[in-house]
Amino acid sequence: MNRFAAWICSTIEGNTLRCTSLLAPAQQRAEWRQEWRAELWHAREATRIGEEITWKTEWEMLRFCSGAIQDALALRRLAWERRETHSAFHGSAMECLLLLSAILTASYSLSLVLPGVRAESHPSLYKVNSDLILIQDALANDDSLATIPIEKYKVWKTRRQRYFDGFAFYRVAREVVSTRVAANERLHVAHGSLNLFWMLGLPTRLSAAVGEAEGRTPGLILSNEVWQRNFGADPLISGKMVKIGRSEARVIGVAPPGVWRLPGSVDAWLLEKDNANIGVGYVIAHLSALGKSEMVARRVQITPSNADDPDEELCGISFADRTKGPFGFFQFTIFLSFLALPAITSVSLGESNFCSYRPSWTNRLCRWMFLSTKIALLLPTVYFASLDLAYWHTMTYSIGAQYVQLGSSFTMSLFGLRWIFLDQRNRCPVCLRRVTHPAQVGLAGRTFLAWNGTELICADGHTLLHVPALPTSWFDTQRWLYLDTSWKFLFAGTSVG
Amino acid sequence: MAQEAKLSHTAALILQAINAGFVYGFSIMEMTGLPSGTVYPAMRRLERDDLIRSQWEKQSIADAEQRPARKYYRLTATGKTTLDSSRRRYPLLERLIPSDEVKQV
Repeated sequence: MNRFAAWICSTIEGNTLRCTSLLAPAQQRAEWRQEWRAELWHAREATRIGEEITWKTEWEMLRFCSGAIQDALALRRLAWERRETHSAFHGSAMECLLLLSAILTASYSLSLVLPGVRAESHPSLYKVNSDLILIQDALANDDSLATIPIEKYKVWKTRRQRYFDGFAFYRVAREVVSTRVAANERLHVAHGSLNLFWMLGLPTRLSAAVGEAEGRTPGLILSNEVWQRNFGADPLISGKMVKIGRSEARVIGVAPPGVWRLPGSVDAWLLEKDNANIGVGYVIAHLSALGKSEMVARRVQITPSNADDPDEELCGISFADRTKGPFGFFQFTIFLSFLALPAITSVSLGESNFCSYRPSWTNRLCRWMFLSTKIALLLPTVYFASLDLAYWHTMTYSIGAQYVQLGSSFTMSLFGLRWIFLDQRNRCPVCLRRVTHPAQVGLAGRTFLAWNGTELICADGHTLLHVPALPTSWFDTQRWLYLDTSWKFLFAGTSVG
Repeated sequence: MAQEAKLSHTAALILQAINAGFVYGFSIMEMTGLPSGTVYPAMRRLERDDLIRSQWEKQSIADAEQRPARKYYRLTATGKTTLDSSRRRYPLLERLIPSDEVKQV
């Protein structure tokens, strides 16, 4: 083996040590590298046979160097253990609050990036006028079903009404939509009356002024998803002609993401005159002053007067449930979580039994403030994290996303609250640091004869926590023991209050 | 005493090697026949448990011998006590590395 090969081997070994040293803790890195360089020198001297360098010796050197990785990792592990034992920050209340704040910041930051969450965060986009209701056949038990024929809508519109002062109609159908730029595609098109968007108060973007001649052509409003997917997010889309089935329509705007909360999944809205519309659809009615006074519940019975069919029964359904928004669901899940919490953990914090010492009112106040702050940080975290999960894959509102939000919000809030209470019970009432060094005391078989449980101690030497393994009549819940000054010698180097 | 009883055979062997005068990492490796990935991490743990203590050799001595300075290890008082109890636990320890085989550093 020539000198050049030997130089390459020693360079590789040197660089291996240099790279491996990055695994060692920064404070000990220089010394670690110096020691291993010296050891490598000795190892090379010992393995060298005369001036000759062989593959065998180089292989041995490589094996020797591989031990450096394990050594660096061991050093890091020891440094980590030391940190856990000695760091004043570890286990402190501040650490807990900073950790929760970091999770909250992360979930909030993610929610700013996800378009679905951004759309949900603006209720003004999808909130419909509270004076509007959906009129449906009373026999239909699902408000997402289309039940009203357009003929009835036309009749209601022409007749004088006591309870309503305006109507709008739409029906959803799958139509082939073709343009010059995009290929033919079957989309869900809502054929609506001309006043549909105006009555609902839904906003549109990229709207263009429509002239009288152009006004004769039905107007088409595209959903944001279709505008991006099929029209390449063209900012000059307004005014362009699109063929829907056999008829033509002019694009008159784009609906922002998540604005449509009414029954039916819709890709585009075709606003046309009533005589061009046929079939069964949905009727939206605007309540008059008298109608508003009669709307006492989310669902009311409507009896049509002068109806052709005497057995006809209708109902009016409020849009409040459909336009509740994510915060309404979040509030509901939080309420459920607080209800379910006692089933999975004890919510009692009054377990402290200080015989000779009672914490000062400032200590007790700090403890309660710490608990409140944890809950205050958890709730927005759950809200944003559940929205992030719900709208991770979808850009717009959907029933599926709502279910994901409901489920994740409930799970996270329930187990988050459980963790908060468990954490609170394991914090020293004096310094709010987590008690450590659990020690099992007693035998399970002698539970009813002697003390059997776990003892934990405050690292600052304030308190000792006794947790029974099995609640008994004489020791049913955890107890705190205040450590007086006679224990001080055990905690030399730590501040004993 | 609980810590002494928990000392593994490898750790006891390393303590015995240091006591016998093999006072830097590579010499301990050579004496015990253990790989570098075992010896050095074990020595870190022994140092953490205050059974051994390390000290850098004077640079002038290393320069005189034209080699890099070594990091030497020696037993602490606790280490000696622990080694005594380990010898009782592992009787072959002294036969593997006799204590009278003291090397001059």
